[in-house]
Order: sequence, then structure tokens, then C-alpha cells
Amino acid sequence: MTDPGEVVVPIRADVDVVVARQKIRGLVSDLRFSGNELTLIATAISEVARNIVSYAGNGEIVMRVIQRGQRRGITVVARDRGPGIADIERAMKDGFSTSRGLGLGLPGSKRLMDEFELVSEVGKGTEITMTKWER
Amino acid sequence: MAKQPSVGAEISEQELVRRKDFLEFRDDDLANLASINEVARRYADSVIEDFYKHLLSFEESGAFFRDPQVLERVKRAQQEYFLRLTQGNYNLAYAENRLKIGAIHERIGLPVKAYLGMYNYYLRAVATRLAEAYQEAPEQARSGFLSLMKLTFLDIGLAIDTYINSRERTIREQQEAIQELPTPVLPFREGMLLVPIIGLIDSQRARFLTEQLLGAVRANRAKVVVMDITGVQAIDSKVGNHLVQTVEAARLMGAVVVLAGVSPEIAQTMVTVGIELGRMTTVGDLQSGIERAEELLGYTVTRTRTRSQVTQ
Amino acid sequence: MRASILKQNRFLIASVQGSMSDADLVELRDELASGVRRHRSTGVIIDVTMLDVMDSFAARTLRGVAQMVRLLGAECIVVGIQPEVAFSMVQLGLTLEGMTTALDLEDGLDALEAGVSGQGNLL
Repeated sequence: MTDPGEVVVPIRADVDVVVARQKIRGLVSDLRFSGNELTLIATAISEVARNIVSYAGNGEIVMRVIQRGQRRGITVVARDRGPGIADIERAMKDGFSTSRGLGLGLPGSKRLMDEFELVSEVGKGTEITMTKWER
Repeated sequence: MAKQPSVGAEISEQELVRRKDFLEFRDDDLANLASINEVARRYADSVIEDFYKHLLSFEESGAFFRDPQVLERVKRAQQEYFLRLTQGNYNLAYAENRLKIGAIHERIGLPVKAYLGMYNYYLRAVATRLAEAYQEAPEQARSGFLSLMKLTFLDIGLAIDTYINSRERTIREQQEAIQELPTPVLPFREGMLLVPIIGLIDSQRARFLTEQLLGAVRANRAKVVVMDITGVQAIDSKVGNHLVQTVEAARLMGAVVVLAGVSPEIAQTMVTVGIELGRMTTVGDLQSGIERAEELLGYTVTRTRTRSQVTQ
Repeated sequence: MRASILKQNRFLIASVQGSMSDADLVELRDELASGVRRHRSTGVIIDVTMLDVMDSFAARTLRGVAQMVRLLGAECIVVGIQPEVAFSMVQLGLTLEGMTTALDLEDGLDALEAGVSGQGNLL
């Protein structure tokens, strides 16, 4: 049973990427996020969901409203059972404002959110947890 | 545990113990104060009367007590205070009550010097009364008085804390207000925006500024933004990167940012951070910035009057 | 399919929606290519006003479309990037370097009329 504050979006094809980022807007409608912040969150979701499609084939995005003390926020978990990332350090590295070529968009996604955690094992899969807090 | 924060200054049990230790306020002081309690009650009224006569005789302090109702209320409160001094039980509640009283005085604008002067008068008045009352036992008068002095200094310390706390809070609030002043984004000519930045920019302010600026580009259909940082002393690498991001984001919206007033220090920071100044349009001062913007937009400015004709 | 291509004199205007799938984008790109050839268009405007999010994939795709259009001899201008999207893009490091941008359709058309100088913006 999923709890009402949580939304699960299965990611199997590129169309699901759009579904995921549209769902987030509904979920956070009564949180204090500015238009800018909403776009940042939707962009980060788009990036990680896209990775699932491109590299793992399928997985899921789970979005949940969370609370820590007085602050509320949104946590997004992107998980898959894909090939995993061999060199995590390399995947997370990039220059600050260099133009980006192909890549996983992970450092960028990390910049868009407040908290970012990545767990990955070759052959097992990848799980990314990102959180953004109300200001 | 959550107390009313109306006072601002607060004190913990340990801190109260520390202060009593420092003043060497001990059990024998408790005993001394208890022993002069009777005498204190007897002279309370006359001390109050003299006390306020003294206050009202001075222009400055008298001003606070013009209203007879206020005066009555204050006298009664003061009497309670004086009596309380010798009633024992100088615990946390006692201290918190002192803080509250200090806050009230601070709020009505009573200056610290007046506050101290009042205590001074009180102590002298009491010293005289005690000497009279204990003519046969001067040692008791002396020890009672010294204990009273320790206690009143404890009180003074607490009262001054509230004054300081209040000042600090005001300073903090003003600083926050300054930080939150939105940077104006001013439409200057058609297609141009002027953004004068003054004071410290931190990451948060820089981000907010970018949001404002981009929104203004859309609202004003701006093609050139002159961002004037003449008033900015220094920036750190994070803010430097924010500036670059602002320039890049504006370009995505079809606008050019002219960065004006780049000081040598800031130029150095940007070079150190690795920001390619060559890719940005930077000029030394605001006038150059505006002229460059006008040039880009195709404006020509012609002067048709001399200085002297301006005020004719 | 949520892309539409309009013809205005020698120019083509393509609107991109956020809800477009990969297949939709491929279709758009192909239609633009044949459109440029068929009409001998000298300029293409890609209008992303309705695009809610520009992620790295979308940016790469746009770049691809622009390159293709230029190879076919036409100018390409991206218009309508919204403030929030522009902000997110630079956070992500997507600068669309080398691509010409303008505020909106009106400015984009003006730029094409005036003759954009190839890569990057007028100024």
C-alpha cells in the first residue's frame, strides 16, 4: 500500500519521463515552492528519469512529501536494476559552467537539489535520493 | 521548557548560579537579608516617597513619570520590588522577573544611566535607614547592607542584559532588513534594464537577484541589462559563479548583460575562479555601461545645451 | 503528436511542447528538414515557450535540430525560454552554446529578417 503522500511513477519509456515531472507539480502544490524551485525539481526528476530509460531500461521514480521539524520538503527516489555505475566519482565530477556534452547529468541534478545521495553497484542497479526543502 | 520569548534575554539555572558565585552571594547573605526584612518593610514607604521626589526633581528622569496614573502604578511596582529584595528565595523565577522588569524599562526608553542612578539612590537611602535602625548593632546594619548590595548588583546585571539584548536584536533585525531589500531592476530605456547592486551579495541574494532579473527581462522585453556592481566591494567564488550564470541565463532569453563597475579586486577574483572575462561584456563604470548598452540598442545621445543653459 | 510547424514567408516556425515524446521530437526534426528543403526556407524558429523543463536530453536534441537546419542552409533561432527554465538550465550547465536565442517569436522573426550572423547572438 502506498501512502497518500507518496507518488510512484514506473519508468519504462521516454513518455514516462514526462509523466514523472508532471506528477511532481500536483504533489507539491501546497508546499511553499516558488515557480523557479518547481522547475528545478522537475528538471532534476527529468534528468534522473531519463537516465533510467537510457541506461537501465526500466525502473521507478518515487516522490514523497517529507517533514523535518517545522520544515517540509520533497524527496525523490529514482531506482533501477540496471547495469549500475562503475566509476561513481567520475560520474559525479564536472566543471562548474562548462558546456556539457553527453553524460548522466548527475552533478547538475545534485546542484538543482538541496540533498543528493547516490548508491550504485555494477550489475545490481542504481538508487538516487534527492531532496529539496521549502525555504 | 518553552518559555514566553517576550523578554528576549533569558537566563539558565547554571548561569544564575555562576553569577551568584561571582558576587559571592551565599547562604549567610540569605540570612542577613532575612534579618533586615522587618526593618525594610517599615521604611519601604518613606524610601519610595523620597526616591520619586528625587526622580521628579530632575528634568530628564522626571519626564518619564509625568502622568499621575503612571506614577502611581510605578510607585506600587517599585514598592513591591524593594520589599521583594529581602524576602528570600532568589531563584530562577526571581531572575526571570528581573529580566522582565528590565525589558519594560528599556521599552519605555529609560536610559541605562537613569536605571543605575535609581539603584544608587536606593542603596544610599537604605544605608542611612539601616544605620538609624541598627544603632545598637552596627555590624548587623553593615552586613545587611553588603548582602543587599550583592543582590542589587545581581539585579543590575540582569537589567543591563535586557538592554544589551534588545539593542542586539534591533541591530540584527536591521541587518536582515537590509539583506532583504530587493535589488531594484529598473527599466531604463526601451529594451534596457538597469540593475544597481549595492552592498554585500551572498549566494542567496545573488540567486534571488537572478530570478528577479530574468523575470524583468521577460516583462520588459529587455535586450540589454546593465548590471552595475560599482557598489560591491568584493565577491567570493560562489557569487562570481552566480553572476556568470545570470549572464548565461539572460542570453538564453535573448538578452545581453553588460557588467559595469568591475573593480580590479573583483576582476582578480573572477580570473582566479576561472571565469572567462573575455566572454562577458564588462566595463569599468556605470556611464560606460549605459553608453555601451545604448550603442548596442542603436541609440545616439546628442547634447544640445551647455552647462550654463541647464538652469536658465 | 504535439508539434506544429507554421510557414511565414521564407521562415518556418516550430512549437515544441513539454509533453512531446522522443518519437514526437524525431518526427518534428524530420518534418523541419523536409520543410526547409521543400520551401527553401532561409530561417527556422524553434519556439519553446510551452516547454516546462529543459533537461540535458532536450538540449541535446535541440542542438541536433539546429545543426541539421544549418546544414540545410537555413538559420536557426530558439525562442521562448522561460525565466524559470533558463535559470534551471544554467544550474544544470546547459548553455546552448553556439545557438542563437531570442526572447520570443516577435524578436526571433525580427532577427531572421535582419539577418542573423550565423552562430551565436546578434550582439
